[in-house]
Order: sequence, then structure tokens, then C-alpha cells
Amino acid sequence: MNSGELDILLVEDNQDDMDLALHALQREKLSNRIFVVRDGEEALDFLFCRGVYAHRAFDRPPKLVLLDLKLPKVDGLEVLKQLQGDPRTRNIPTVVMTSSKEERDMVSGYELGANSYIRKPVDIDQFRETVKNVGLYWLVVNQPPPISGVRELETAQS
Amino acid sequence: MTGETFVIAEHCSRFGDVGSIYWVDTTIVPIMNKEGKPRQYIAIRADITDLKLAREEVHKLNDELEHRVAQRTAQLETANKELEAFSYSVSHDLRAPLRHISGFSRMLEEELGATLGPDARHHLDRIQSGIQKMGLLVDELLNLARVGRHVLRPQPTPLNSIVAEVITMLEPDSEVRHVTWLIADLPAVECDAVLVKQVFQNLLANALKFTRPRADVVIEVSCEEEDGQPVFMVRDNGVGFSMKYAGKLFGVFQRLHRSDEFEGTGIGLVTVQRIVRKHGGRVWVNAEVDKGAAFYFTLGMEKQAESKSNEATAGGQS
Repeated sequence: MNSGELDILLVEDNQDDMDLALHALQREKLSNRIFVVRDGEEALDFLFCRGVYAHRAFDRPPKLVLLDLKLPKVDGLEVLKQLQGDPRTRNIPTVVMTSSKEERDMVSGYELGANSYIRKPVDIDQFRETVKNVGLYWLVVNQPPPISGVRELETAQS
Repeated sequence: MTGETFVIAEHCSRFGDVGSIYWVDTTIVPIMNKEGKPRQYIAIRADITDLKLAREEVHKLNDELEHRVAQRTAQLETANKELEAFSYSVSHDLRAPLRHISGFSRMLEEELGATLGPDARHHLDRIQSGIQKMGLLVDELLNLARVGRHVLRPQPTPLNSIVAEVITMLEPDSEVRHVTWLIADLPAVECDAVLVKQVFQNLLANALKFTRPRADVVIEVSCEEEDGQPVFMVRDNGVGFSMKYAGKLFGVFQRLHRSDEFEGTGIGLVTVQRIVRKHGGRVWVNAEVDKGAAFYFTLGMEKQAESKSNEATAGGQS
């Protein structure tokens, strides 16, 4: 993977869910530049450019993080919390993938500022439709904050 | 001349040398001399051993009973919580494999494409429709579990606006048919708006469903006061059912119609009942085969926030 040219970071531990999400994203021709991490700890290493991902740079964040909530080691809520708590990662669009309304309520309850939610629908057509809409919005319509903007924010807050 | 009588209540005494203890109330009456000093005393002893023992037994039983009630209540609360957590996680975790079956069978269908014969395609369709049904079931079970855990937030709620919202939501289902909605003036009542909306949603969706064979559908929502308490009614002119089975209606998974006649999971009315009971109210039904069904419910909280006067009733209009 070229670390500078990443569209989507998919954080998903379940192999089946991962395959379905990848299939849906590729089918809608949204992106082939998807990187998958399989637990919360790896997601944090990736996004905070540390451990095996120490070579990555903060100024090249993924355009979108698709975050599952139920994850081994560090759960999705904690990942979200840490992303929100750091000015270097706060602006990365994060879409939470939930399995139920309850989970969604839980996230909004913490006011962790997820950009939107996908409730993984049982129906595959619905799932494809949702993935397409989310992908279209965050990869095509939405303009990411300028990198310099992120830097300024960083200095202002430190 | 006697002085002031005094009583020594419930004290121990012994039978002579034998030493066995018994309980007495002793009343002591001093007899005074001319100077007003006690000359002698008369002690009247009443053996209250049996009374005392009986009383102790009652106390002990009461304490035991209270302890047992507290224990049972705690056990029940724990069991209830466990059950809710269980039904939630079962429903929650059931969705994942279902999603995978749906996804991969659809991928299979697409990969095989034109090579699929009509039978194979039909079987794949059956798989999909099975998945849909189970998905709905799981969602409704989750919803039921959620209602169970929901903490009641009562506030004055204008019911007409809730009913209007629900009807707008259900409109896509009723578009192709001619439905006459007869919505009376409903009071604003003290209740949990989120849950009561669910009640109307389930009852009105049922009304729409079971009137499907009718050319002219009439669905009525009204409110009448009974014993100072508003009783709400949702009535339809649909297929109804025999009151013989009315008792089954509010049980989980109970259905009175074949699922190829009317789809459903048998959870909707249980949810209604649970919500109504949470409000301290009750729900009942009156129906007849082919003549429609009327569901009645109260919301228990008698304090009415605001009672709209129904001007249409003035002047004896019918």
C-alpha cells in the first residue's frame, strides 16, 4: 500500500463482514484504495502513525474511517474517543458501523462526534446502498480540511 | 389508702428452685400508712409466657418474611436483568450471521448469473425471504427488549400530533388503498411520548394490515372517559378474529392468522401491552370475525395535562 494515497481505513474484526464491506465498496467502484485493520489497537497504531505504522505521516490521513464498534483489544468507542481527543486526528471523517440501534444510541450518548452511522442491515441490497451513499458523500462530495488547517489547529492547541 | 400503682412489664421470673424461666407482668400497688408512706405492697403477677412466646414467634416470622421478600425481589430483579441482557445479546448477535448468509447468497446468485436455472433461482429467493423474516423477527425482539429497559419519561403529550405523525409514517403502506381515517379530538395526557407513539404505530399498522382485503377501509381513533380516566380506542373494519382467541393475542409469537394471509411476527401486541402496563394502564380488545377489531387502552396516569373540550358535541349533534 502506498501510505499517501489511502481512501478508506476499514476497521473490522469479522472476516465475513470485512469481505462483504470490501465487496460492496469495490462493486460500487468507490475505491480500491482501502486498507483493513482487524482490531482497535491496530486502528490506533495506524491512525497515530506508531508501531508497525510508524512510517506513516499525520498529514496523509485516510479520507474516511469505517469503524466497527465491537472490536477485540480496544473497542470502537475507545478508538473514537482517542481520535476525538487529539487535534491531529480529530478531523478524520469517521463513520461508525453499528449492529443495532442500541449501539448507535450508545455512541451518541457519549457525544464522541462520529460523522455518521451505518447500521449494518441484514439485507445486502440495503447495505450496498448505504455503503455507496456514505462512500459517495465522504469520498466525493466532502472536501477534507486542508492539511495546513490541521497543522494550524495543532499549534494553536499545543 | 393506696399509692400510685406501677407496673413492671415483661420481666423474667423463676419457678422456685426448679429454675425454669417464665415471663410475667407485675402490677404493684403500694398501700400507704397515715403518714402517706408505703406500709406494704400488693404485687399482682400475670403469667404472660405464652403471649410473650407467641409475640416473639410473630416477630420472628415477620422478620423472616421481610428478609425473604427482599431476597426474592433481588433474585427476581437479577433474573429479569439477565433475561433482558440475554434477549438483547441474542437478538443482537443473531443479526451478524444473518447478514452474512444474505450477503454471500446474493453474491452467489450474481456470480452464477445466467447459468442459474429457474429452480435454483427460486431457491435462492426463498433463502432471501427467509432471511428477511428472521431479520424482522430479530429487530422486533430487540425492540421488545428495549421497551423493557426503557426508563419512563412522562410528560404532557398531545396525542393528536403523535397519531398524525404515525399516520404520515404509515402512509406509504396505505397509499394504494382508500383509507378513511376518523381521528377524534384526543386529550394531551401525561405519558412517555416515545413509547406511546410505538403503541399507536403498532395498533395502526395492524389496523392497516388486517383491512387489506377491504375496498373501503375505515380506521378510527377515539377517546372516551370512563371512571374519570381516558380510554383510547383504535378500531378498524378489517377481518377481525374470534374472541375465543383473544387471550392468546398478547402472548409473544402468538398469531391468529396464517403468515401467508397476513405477515407478522407476533411481537407487536406484546410490545403494546408492555408499554401500556409500564404506564400502569391496561389494554383489551373487542373483535368479531369479518367485522373488524377494536383495541382499547388506558395509560394509567390519571392526571390529565389538558383536556380539550370537544365543541362538536355541543347542541346535541350526533
